Amino acid sequence: MHKGASGKIHVNIRRVAFSILFLLLLLFIYVSYIQVYQSNVLASHPLNRRNIEAMRKVEQGRIIDRNNINLAKSVLDTTGNFSRQYPLGAITSHIVGYSSTEYGNSGIESQYTSYLTGSGNPERKLGPITHLWDIKKGNDIVLTLDSNLQQVAYQALGNRRGSVVAISPHTGEILVMVSKPGFDPNHIDKEWKSISQSTESPLLNRSVQGLYPPGSIIKVMIAESALSGKSANFKTIFDCEGSLKLGSDYTLTENNLKAHGKVDLEEALAVSCNITFGKLALQLGRNNMAKTFDRYGFSKQVSEALNESYSRMPDFRNLSDGDLAQTGIGQGSLLVTPLRMAMLASCFANNGTMMKPYIVSKIIAPDGTIIEQYSPQDWISPVNSTIANEVRKMMIGVVDNGTGSAARIPGVSVAGKTGTAETPSGSPHAWFIGFAPADNPQIAIAVIVENGGYGGQTAAPIARMIFDKALH
Amino acid sequence: MPASHSEYKLLIIASLIGVIGILAVSIATRSVNITVLTVTASLLFLPSLVRYILTKIDYNNPDPLLLPLTIALAGFGLVMILRLKPNLFPMQSTWLAIGLICFVISAKVFRNLEKIAQYKYLCGIIGISLLMTAILFGVDIGGNKNWVILGPVRFQPSEFAKIFIVLFLAAYLAERYELLAFATKRYGPFDLPHPRFIAPLIAIWGLAMVMFVLQRDLGSALLFFGVTILMAYMASGKLSYVILGLTLFLLGSAICYKLYPHVGVRVDIWLNPWSDPSGKGFQIVQSLFALGSGGVMGSGLTYGFPDLIPEVHTDFIFAAIGEELGLLGTSSILLLYMALIYRAFKISLICQKPFSTLVAGGLAVATGLQVFLIIGGVTKFFPLTGITLPFISYGGSSMVANFILLGILYAISETRAKNA
Repeated sequence: MHKGASGKIHVNIRRVAFSILFLLLLLFIYVSYIQVYQSNVLASHPLNRRNIEAMRKVEQGRIIDRNNINLAKSVLDTTGNFSRQYPLGAITSHIVGYSSTEYGNSGIESQYTSYLTGSGNPERKLGPITHLWDIKKGNDIVLTLDSNLQQVAYQALGNRRGSVVAISPHTGEILVMVSKPGFDPNHIDKEWKSISQSTESPLLNRSVQGLYPPGSIIKVMIAESALSGKSANFKTIFDCEGSLKLGSDYTLTENNLKAHGKVDLEEALAVSCNITFGKLALQLGRNNMAKTFDRYGFSKQVSEALNESYSRMPDFRNLSDGDLAQTGIGQGSLLVTPLRMAMLASCFANNGTMMKPYIVSKIIAPDGTIIEQYSPQDWISPVNSTIANEVRKMMIGVVDNGTGSAARIPGVSVAGKTGTAETPSGSPHAWFIGFAPADNPQIAIAVIVENGGYGGQTAAPIARMIFDKALH
Repeated sequence: MPASHSEYKLLIIASLIGVIGILAVSIATRSVNITVLTVTASLLFLPSLVRYILTKIDYNNPDPLLLPLTIALAGFGLVMILRLKPNLFPMQSTWLAIGLICFVISAKVFRNLEKIAQYKYLCGIIGISLLMTAILFGVDIGGNKNWVILGPVRFQPSEFAKIFIVLFLAAYLAERYELLAFATKRYGPFDLPHPRFIAPLIAIWGLAMVMFVLQRDLGSALLFFGVTILMAYMASGKLSYVILGLTLFLLGSAICYKLYPHVGVRVDIWLNPWSDPSGKGFQIVQSLFALGSGGVMGSGLTYGFPDLIPEVHTDFIFAAIGEELGLLGTSSILLLYMALIYRAFKISLICQKPFSTLVAGGLAVATGLQVFLIIGGVTKFFPLTGITLPFISYGGSSMVANFILLGILYAISETRAKNA
């Protein structure tokens, strides 16, 4: 081969060739990164409509309650696509969610899409090879929910805004989770505009995302902290004069300025004495109060799957005396979710241990095989069983002799605590937490009715209806 | 001849990629019609027929890989068009057939490539005129203002301009490459070429900037400018050309970014498409979803949802391949292009005459940059540009122009065999 005049050019071209091929190699590595490393994120991205489109092609699994009652099922429509039906409509709307080609999915429909469509099955990784045995049906999701109780709770709330959460205290299974107002997931596409723009926020799952001042129901926790910290015992007598002046500009008062006189801790809880619990909060001090809230898990998330809003805690270090006393009676800047309050009740129903709440119990393949099974898990034990049982007894007193009398059921011992949480927007929120039967608790509950007035009048009767249905 | 025998074998294997894919799509959609069967049969024997005709016009020892690699790529293209836009399939098949005819004609015409060098200014004028028609009379089709409509025919002049510009630059540079290498002037730390010789460079830079701003065609602008500076480097070996070129381009782009909002928008979409995923970033986000959903194995032909991506059959066809054929498909495509570009460079390295060397090198660079820009664009590796994926995207201009380009490379590869 003779060296032509283009020998120099060849050297240059070789360099350019390497550069161009190197650029393409970089591109190759980058495409591999997208299709391997980023694949799952992109494939399951909420804006990626492929999952929704794919869902219409397969018969998705059912979502059923603990008694095998259908909450969501797939029905073949005239165009050859499957669509979703929700037999209980608005009653289970926040848990089950909706499935819309236009507006995406929510609830279990969204979280468990890959199971419901079967697209998350491990053989899916084989890509086109799976078409050899075509997955035509997805997996069923079994919930811990009891749809009978759910319906009772939904009807009991009536036309009022609010939420009911009921937990099995020994397992953490969520039995009831109602949020009102609801929406009808069967007509989500047609009614989207009115649903999504409504000032009553029907899409919001108040049970886990609604943040409310807990009011007096937090007193059970303050009472426990006072007993555990030995700043009070059952013989301690508190003097309630109907108001308590704190500093120069704040006075803590009872509802209607009515003095309770000399009361012990049990009586103070039964009548929900603000002065007593304001004093207890001051005695415990900023540090102990902060520690108490920490102990009960308010500063951490309980479960990613439940999509819960974080509780809002005051900044204890910089709290004035007035604000500290307010926190002791569940007012001030403290905000919690109904789920947390149901968990608080369940803690005293379960000898001081909070179970991790969960709503999906099993995932079952079309052939009956159990793909996933979720079992009860301890979450935290903020209080020992002796003191938990003492608080439990005081809570029985609240229902038997105190503000919670509307939750009484003949022949069954009920424990509870009412709350009437002041709010800047209108009448106070009505709260009730409790459990029954008090000696062997099967169900722990939190009820809130927004702007419902007195907890004992509005919330306690709703709890009673659910206890009644659950235990008979 | 054994060499030629194996080329026929390769051609059959390459054809089978398309044939099997077309049959797979037909079976999956349960629609086999006479057009599909005719195309399948033609795809099996037409490439071999083309190769046979070439032996009759005295092609005895051309590069044995060029044609099989191209047929494999075109096969992928046909399969994807049938899957994405079945009603465009007959037209695309026709364009492939026309492309093969143009390939034969081009291989015949450019056999005497060295003579073309005499008409370099004509090539330059045709190339620039084609680009100017696109700039002046360009019509917006699918977001790119690089279409020209002439009566019933609409075509993308920039696809053809590419070839003429490479021919012009190769001839211009081949005459002056020795001067270019030495006639320099020092400006401070820079050893810059004499202004006389960088005039065409500046001219094409200006043209690229105009394309960029008026046509919103960042792809073509980058392609032409990139080819120009890399060919200048090939001829001179002076890195200062590349540095000067890049500086000019970045400077121009920065000014455009500030002055023209639409240029800024393109860059912003590239930097963060997720800031407006259902608006301005929609196309690129959909493309990424397709690639991600495809994963390693892909969904399988017809089992994906590539229709969610706008313009999926032209600029975004690579994303559709990624979704339905997975990384296996996209890496096959990339490897085929890398092999094709490697062969093109190889051909230029075996040439003895500067002009042929630069033509082959220039065409290799043009193809390589085009593949990089469009695949980089749809995968967010690079700002999105509206140019086609050679031999795969739907479109007659692209198909015909790239087959003519291939014919020139083929002719050069045979010439080298004769001289050696």
